[in-house]
Amino acid sequence: MNPAEEIKQLFPDSVVSVGHQTNKPLAIIKKEGLLKIAEKVKEMGFDNLSVITGIDYGDRFEVVYNFLSYTKKQNLVLKVVLGHENPEVDSLASVWKVADWLERETYDLVGIKFRGHPNLKRILLPDGWIGHPLRKDYDMSVDQFVTVGEDGEDIVSTDGSNLLRR
Amino acid sequence: MKTEELLINMGPVHPSTHGVLRFKLTMDGEIIKKCEIVMGYLHRGTEKLGEMKTYMQFIPYTDRLDYISAFPNNYAYVKAVEELAGIEVPLRAEYIRVLTLELNRIVNHLVMLGSLLLDLGASTMIMYGFRERENALQLFEMLCGARMTFNYIKPGGVREDLPDGFIPKLNEFIKDMEKRIDDYEQLISGNEIFMGRMKNIGVMSAEDAINYGMSGPSLRGHGVNYDIRKIEPYSVYPDLDFKACVRHECDSFARYMVRIDEMRESLHILRQVVDAMPPAKPVSQAKYGIAPMTGAPTAVSTYFPRIFTPPVGEVYSRIEAPKGELGFYIVSDGSIKPYRIKIRSPSFCNLTAIPKMVEGLMIPDLIAAFGTIDVVLGDVDR
Amino acid sequence: MDPLTIDTTKIKMTKKQPVTALDKLNDTGLISTVLAAREREGLILFSTIDQVFNWARLSSLWPVTSGLACCAIEMMATAMAHHDVARFGMEIFRASPRQADLMFVAGTVTKRMAPRVKKLYEMMPDPKWVISVGSCANTGGPYHESYSVLKGVDMIIPVDVYIPGCPPRPEAWIYGIIQLREKIKNQGYGAKWGLNK
Repeated sequence: MNPAEEIKQLFPDSVVSVGHQTNKPLAIIKKEGLLKIAEKVKEMGFDNLSVITGIDYGDRFEVVYNFLSYTKKQNLVLKVVLGHENPEVDSLASVWKVADWLERETYDLVGIKFRGHPNLKRILLPDGWIGHPLRKDYDMSVDQFVTVGEDGEDIVSTDGSNLLRR
Repeated sequence: MKTEELLINMGPVHPSTHGVLRFKLTMDGEIIKKCEIVMGYLHRGTEKLGEMKTYMQFIPYTDRLDYISAFPNNYAYVKAVEELAGIEVPLRAEYIRVLTLELNRIVNHLVMLGSLLLDLGASTMIMYGFRERENALQLFEMLCGARMTFNYIKPGGVREDLPDGFIPKLNEFIKDMEKRIDDYEQLISGNEIFMGRMKNIGVMSAEDAINYGMSGPSLRGHGVNYDIRKIEPYSVYPDLDFKACVRHECDSFARYMVRIDEMRESLHILRQVVDAMPPAKPVSQAKYGIAPMTGAPTAVSTYFPRIFTPPVGEVYSRIEAPKGELGFYIVSDGSIKPYRIKIRSPSFCNLTAIPKMVEGLMIPDLIAAFGTIDVVLGDVDR
Repeated sequence: MDPLTIDTTKIKMTKKQPVTALDKLNDTGLISTVLAAREREGLILFSTIDQVFNWARLSSLWPVTSGLACCAIEMMATAMAHHDVARFGMEIFRASPRQADLMFVAGTVTKRMAPRVKKLYEMMPDPKWVISVGSCANTGGPYHESYSVLKGVDMIIPVDVYIPGCPPRPEAWIYGIIQLREKIKNQGYGAKWGLNK
C-alpha cells in the first residue's frame, strides 16, 4: 500500500483525494490538517523534506511538499490548495529545520504567509522590495533600484538618480 | 570587568566567502555567539525567466546555476523533462552522459580542494587543482566546444557523438589523475597544521544534519550512507559497480576525506564506462527524411524537435550532483513554455546548517567549516 | 573684374621674398610650433617623462578581486599556471581596493550588489581603470529581461575596456589586458603629437 493511501486511512476527513504525480504517490489535503499529518509523516520515516513549491494559478495558490524516505526508499507528495486572497498556511519549521529557509523563499517570491514561522522575512530580495515576482500579475516594466543607507541596510526605490550615471 | 557583544560584518566582497555572501556575526571577544547569513546579492531571477522561454531555450540558464559543474545541472533539468514527456534515450547517449557527469565530479572536487586550502593560507593546492582542471577542460572542449557552460545534454540524448581522438586522451587523463590524487593525499592529509585546523571543527550530529536538509558528500561525512545513485538509481548506474563513500567522524576532516574517496570512485566508474560503451549504430535517415541539424535521430539522440508541447502535469526529479541533491520541479500546462520551474539547489539547503554548526567557534574555524560545505553562490541565489 | 569669370589657370602665385629678419624666422615655422604648444597647455619638454610614467603604470597594474559569478572562475583560471597573467605584472590580486588600480568587473551585477560595486570603485585611488568582463557586465547578458539585474555595469561606473564572451576564454582575457595597456601607453601629452611610438 503506498504512503498516500496510508495517510488517507489514518486521516480520512483531512484528505481530499489521492492520486499520482507522474510516478510518485500524491495526496491532496486540507490546510487545517497539515501540521498533524506532517508529524505523522515524519514518524513514518520520511526524514528528508526535499522541496516546498508555491504556484500561482491565477484563481488559487497551491503549496506542494515533496518527501523522500531513505530507509524505505519511498516518495510522497502532499499538496495544499489555498484561495487567492491572503494565502496562509501552517509552518513546518518545527518539524523539519530545512523548512525554515524554504518557506522564507516561498514567501519572498510568491507571497504565501506561513503561520508560526520564527522569522518570516525576505531572503533573496532586499527588505523593501515591492511586490512578489513569481506571481502572474507582477509588473515587469517598473524598475526598482537599491541604495545603501547610513547603517549599511538596503533602501529600495523606483528612482535611481543617485546611483546611475545617466 | 564589563564586556559587550560586538557585531562584525563579513561583507559581500570578501576573498574567502566563495562569492558574494554576507555573514553578520555577533561575537563575545573572539567566540561567535550568533551567525546570521544574508544572501541574495546574485539573485538573477532564473525561475521567472524559465516561464518566458521554451523548454530548449532554458537549458543554457541551467549551466549558469552551479557554474563549476555545469553538466549535472543540464542533466537534472533534462531528466525532469524526459520523465514528464515520456521520451526515450539511446543507450550510447546514456553512457556518454554518465561519462561527462563523473568527469565533472572530479573537476568540482579539485576546485573545492583548491579554494578550501587557499582560504586556509596554502597556495600550492589551487595551482595543482587548476592545472589538472585545464586537462579536463580540454577534453570538454573537444566534446562540445565550450570550457565551462556546455549546453550539451538535450532531451532525447546528447548533441553530438564523441570525436575521434577522445577516448585515447581520456585514458591518458585517467592514468595521470591516479598518481596525482596520491600526491595530494601526501601533501595535505598528513600535514599537522591542516589536521589541527580541521579535526573536531564544525561538529554536528547525524540526525541534526538530516533535519537541516544536508545532502551529498557533506552528509556522508557524518556517517549517513545516503547516495541518490544507490537509492533512486537513474541512467545506467544500476549496471556499474561502485560504492558510496562514507566517513563516520562528523567533523570537517571527514567531509574533506569523503571528497578524496569520491574522486577515486569516479575514476573507477570512468574506466568501466569506457570499457562498456556500446558502439555507434548507424541510423537510416531515409525513414525520416530530415537533415541532422533539425534533430533527426542519430546514434546518440532520438528525434526531437526544437519546439514541443509535453502533456499537462507536474514532475519532480532529483540527481546526485557533486554538491548534493539537485532537483527540478516542473509544472506544465500543455503549451510550449513551462508554467513554473522550481530549482532545489544543494548549496541553499546545505547552508541552513551553518548557523548551528558555527556557534562557539572562532572566525578562522568558521572559514574552515564553511569551506568543507562547498557552496557556490550561483546555486544559492539562482 | 567679375569673380565668376576669372580664369584661375592664368593667375600666377608668387611667393613673397623674405626681406626682414622676422620674415626669415617665420619661414622656418619654429615660432608657430611653440605658440601652438603653449596654447595647448602642455609643454613639449614633458613628453619623455610621460612615456616613463605610462610605462610604469601599464607594467604593474594591480587588480582588485571583485569577481561576482561565473566569469570569476575564468579569472582564477587566467591567473593560474597555464595562462599566466603574472607575466603582465598582475602578480597579486589585492583584497583591499585602496591598494589596487585596476578593477575587473566579472559577473552579473544585480540591483542589490550595484551600490557596493560603485563604492568599491570610489574607494580606489587615482589613476584607476575598469575592465568589464563578460556579457552580463557589458549589457546584462542572458539575464537582460530579468527584474533584478542591472543592464550593464557602465550604468554606474565608467568603463575603459569591454571583453565580450560568456565566459570569455583566457586568451580573450589576455587580449583585453593588452588593449588596456595600449590605451594607457597612449595617454598623456606626448601622445598627442605622435611621439610615443
